[in-house]
Amino acid sequence: MKEKFQLLSTVVIDCEIARKSVEQSFRAAFVGGSMLRCCSYRIRSYSSIAFSALAAVLLAACGGADDSPGRSVRPEPIVQPIPVDAEVVDFSVGEFGANIIETIEGDVATVNPLVNESVGGSLVIGRILDSLVTMDPKTGEVIPNLAKSWEISEDNLQYTFHLRKGVHWSDGEPFTAEDVVFTWQTFFAKQSDPETGEVMTGEDGRPLYRYNSRSTFGQQINGQEPQVEMLDDFTVRFTTPEVYAPFLLFGGGVDILPKHILYDAYEDGTLMDQWSLQTAIDEPWKIVGLNMFVLETYRPGERMVFARNPNYWKVNTQGERLPYVDRVISKIVPDGNSSNVAFAQGQTDFEFIGPDNVAWVRRGEERFDYTVLDMGPSSSTNFIWFNLNPGKNAEGEPFVAPYKFDWFSDKRFRQAISYGINREGIIRGVFFNRADILNGYVSPKRKFWYNDEVRKYPYQVERSRALFQEMGFEYRGQELFDANGRRVEFTLITNSNNGLRVEMATVFKENMAAIGVDVELQFLDFNTIVTKISDAFDYEACMLGLGGGAPDPYAGKDILMSGGRMHFWYPQQQSPATEWEARIDELMREVGRHTEVEVRKEYFNEVQAILAEQQPFIFLVSAKEYAGYRNRWHNVEPTPLGGVTWNLESLWSEVSE
Amino acid sequence: MIAFILRRLLTLIPLLLGITLLVFLLMSLAPGDFLTPVRAQRDVPAELIQAIQTEFGLDQPWYVQYYKWLGNVLQGNLGHSWAFKVPVADLIGQRIWSTFLLSLCAFVFSWAIAIPLGVLAAVYKDSIFDRVSAVLAYAALSIPEFFLALVLVFFAAQTGWFPLGGATSIDYDYLSFGGKMLDRAHHLVLPTLALGIGSIASIMRIMRANFLDSMRAGFVATARAKGLRERVVMFKHVLRNAINPLVSAFGFAFSSLLSGALMVEIVLQYPGLGQLMYQSILREDQFVVLASVMLGCSMLVLGNLLADILLAWSDPRIRLERKK
Repeated sequence: MKEKFQLLSTVVIDCEIARKSVEQSFRAAFVGGSMLRCCSYRIRSYSSIAFSALAAVLLAACGGADDSPGRSVRPEPIVQPIPVDAEVVDFSVGEFGANIIETIEGDVATVNPLVNESVGGSLVIGRILDSLVTMDPKTGEVIPNLAKSWEISEDNLQYTFHLRKGVHWSDGEPFTAEDVVFTWQTFFAKQSDPETGEVMTGEDGRPLYRYNSRSTFGQQINGQEPQVEMLDDFTVRFTTPEVYAPFLLFGGGVDILPKHILYDAYEDGTLMDQWSLQTAIDEPWKIVGLNMFVLETYRPGERMVFARNPNYWKVNTQGERLPYVDRVISKIVPDGNSSNVAFAQGQTDFEFIGPDNVAWVRRGEERFDYTVLDMGPSSSTNFIWFNLNPGKNAEGEPFVAPYKFDWFSDKRFRQAISYGINREGIIRGVFFNRADILNGYVSPKRKFWYNDEVRKYPYQVERSRALFQEMGFEYRGQELFDANGRRVEFTLITNSNNGLRVEMATVFKENMAAIGVDVELQFLDFNTIVTKISDAFDYEACMLGLGGGAPDPYAGKDILMSGGRMHFWYPQQQSPATEWEARIDELMREVGRHTEVEVRKEYFNEVQAILAEQQPFIFLVSAKEYAGYRNRWHNVEPTPLGGVTWNLESLWSEVSE
Repeated sequence: MIAFILRRLLTLIPLLLGITLLVFLLMSLAPGDFLTPVRAQRDVPAELIQAIQTEFGLDQPWYVQYYKWLGNVLQGNLGHSWAFKVPVADLIGQRIWSTFLLSLCAFVFSWAIAIPLGVLAAVYKDSIFDRVSAVLAYAALSIPEFFLALVLVFFAAQTGWFPLGGATSIDYDYLSFGGKMLDRAHHLVLPTLALGIGSIASIMRIMRANFLDSMRAGFVATARAKGLRERVVMFKHVLRNAINPLVSAFGFAFSSLLSGALMVEIVLQYPGLGQLMYQSILREDQFVVLASVMLGCSMLVLGNLLADILLAWSDPRIRLERKK
């Protein structure tokens, strides 16, 4: 197989010859067919037309990819010497040349990091592009990557990064500080008036950006842009407008773009159209990066193939250039279930396995020689919240009926509900013990930020009833009525395409019935839910989950702060609706402003404590994570933060022939 | 003849206008829009959503969006896919060959089997063969395509004889040309079966009925009386007359060449236009959906036109232009 890779160009020539011989053999088949006197001449000519049309399409389909017009030739890669500042990776030395086969869930929409919005896309881009700093997969600390070191100024405003020397892009061009400056330029380039050259502004007086990417707004610090300057070829300095603790991780974690490839597109305004899937099909070598792989081929809806970057900057202890792997072949599958099926049949090498699939995936461990590992709690959370938006819709009707709003906005009501939920029951019945109780906003996976000293809500029906009675509610038989004699009931919405969530909602309904509350469940399409909770606000209670997210607590500011877009229970408040929300806003600002980890942690602990006391989110459970790998791989050292493939460059396997 | 073709093509214009208007209206009525999944992500800044919304024109009423889109289409620009950031025409171009190949295979497969079977069933009417084929045909007709596809997926997973999904193998790019052909053919077997079996049954029943009709015609007696051999009577004279009604069925088959494989493509994970269209509908990637719908609609009109022309050509009794 390896030989065939190198002979790619000769294969193309062979195609011409092969095509002719295939055409001839088709003709021979027709001649042979005419000896079978079962149809009239007319029919035979019909079918031969059809057959030759079919053959022509097959020929076009097989040959088309190689000689479609406008396609330039794959350039021979330029291999530069190993960089002076190459990172030596301390893993046992292995054998080069194996291939990894894996699956990607859902088709990837683009390879351009400025455009990408999907998880699959980030995974692919993360294979090709690299950043100045990264996160230690064991401790979660920020560690050097393309920057070998950095200094932070006394006033905590300036970050000076020293880049590794001698590093080259995958096409052999040198990597310098200019690329870093260029990358940040693309974020903050303004639209300017073509005649006067002045920066154009929107209705709110803020400048209009040329390329609206996630970083354009995400990298701004309270509406102000950080400044970047190049001190010399290998030194860049960032200046933040105010002290901003997460900058090192968020700013340093930006994928660096190649100036020599993208500058022209940046100038002529087509930057967002670059590195599309059309590029991936026609000229994948134009997508150059600094990470360990480059894109070799892409077939829409089928697969992506990555080849090793011949200029990668990590070496093994013997000074040989990594990675060991020759190619990564990523098959595109529609969803997580089909991905797990492929792994369980021994077709793929590495896999994340959902808690609902792990039992049957484990059954194949011996037969297909793979290992399934319990990776501990995941970063995903599941929760319920009540609509606390006091606003009115266009017809002047309040979003939530006023008497229900009075219940929901009383913290005792939310606490009573929380005491009434049998979380152990959910874990046993829905997750088959493959989940953990979630007490607060932070999943136990993020050990570092997790505060265990918060109010907890074990399953205590008596306390729940007592809290209701304290509010003046009364039980008539098994049914609960409020102080004005209204039946306590509400509707809970959740998305229908998440089976686990639907089951959790069902358990929740039963739990609520036990404390006299009548819950009606509505399972809706995900888009409908998002519209309801972020725009229409015509719902009473909702169950959703959050997954992933950056590991810095400040990444949750849009969720936790009252003005945030994702402040689920009452988003985008003009000023905080309650005192405790005002306090959380204050604390979160401090979390962003301080750089000493212990101080930040103290502020964030208080945020968690307030959330636990107030229960705006009623947290349920956090599912466990499982990962699998084929036993033929060496140097596999999974960590909860980094997964199985965090050290992909050091993974190797005997090459089977 | 040319005037007839032109007239038929002109009817396409109001048809396309109506259909695209309807699609636009329906998509605006559907909950959420293209940006809804983005809104549900925790770390997307509100300003970015605002900026993209303005860029895509999603903040305008649907009829304004439709008007702008129509303006672009009249200038030959089908728009950009929002999800892929690629011109819609290119995106469809990426996938069209896979679907065309699959549909053509299914077409050839079903017609090549159905016509001889239909003829045999007619010639040996009421024999065991006729009865069995009738039962099988009704069974095949009543199994929905997607269910058949599911059964085939199960079959492939159990036996391992056929690949599960995709149109090519992992090592496709490194195969010789013959190897590429074989590999493609191997991947086409199951989708072709899933797509073709249903139409075998219907075409076969039509063929049988036509053939039986023609067998009772007067010219058959004449031909026999002239002392022609039975085989020549059946296959040369009866068959030619019986095949005419199938020409209109051919037109319909043509119209489904690009849009008929949606279900099969989704279940069997065959990377074609149907999959793209399905994903685009789910994502509400408007311009891709509109272009696919227009493509399907145009193919339907063209297929019918083709059938009419073929009929006129094969049957001298039919005249396309009525003289006043």
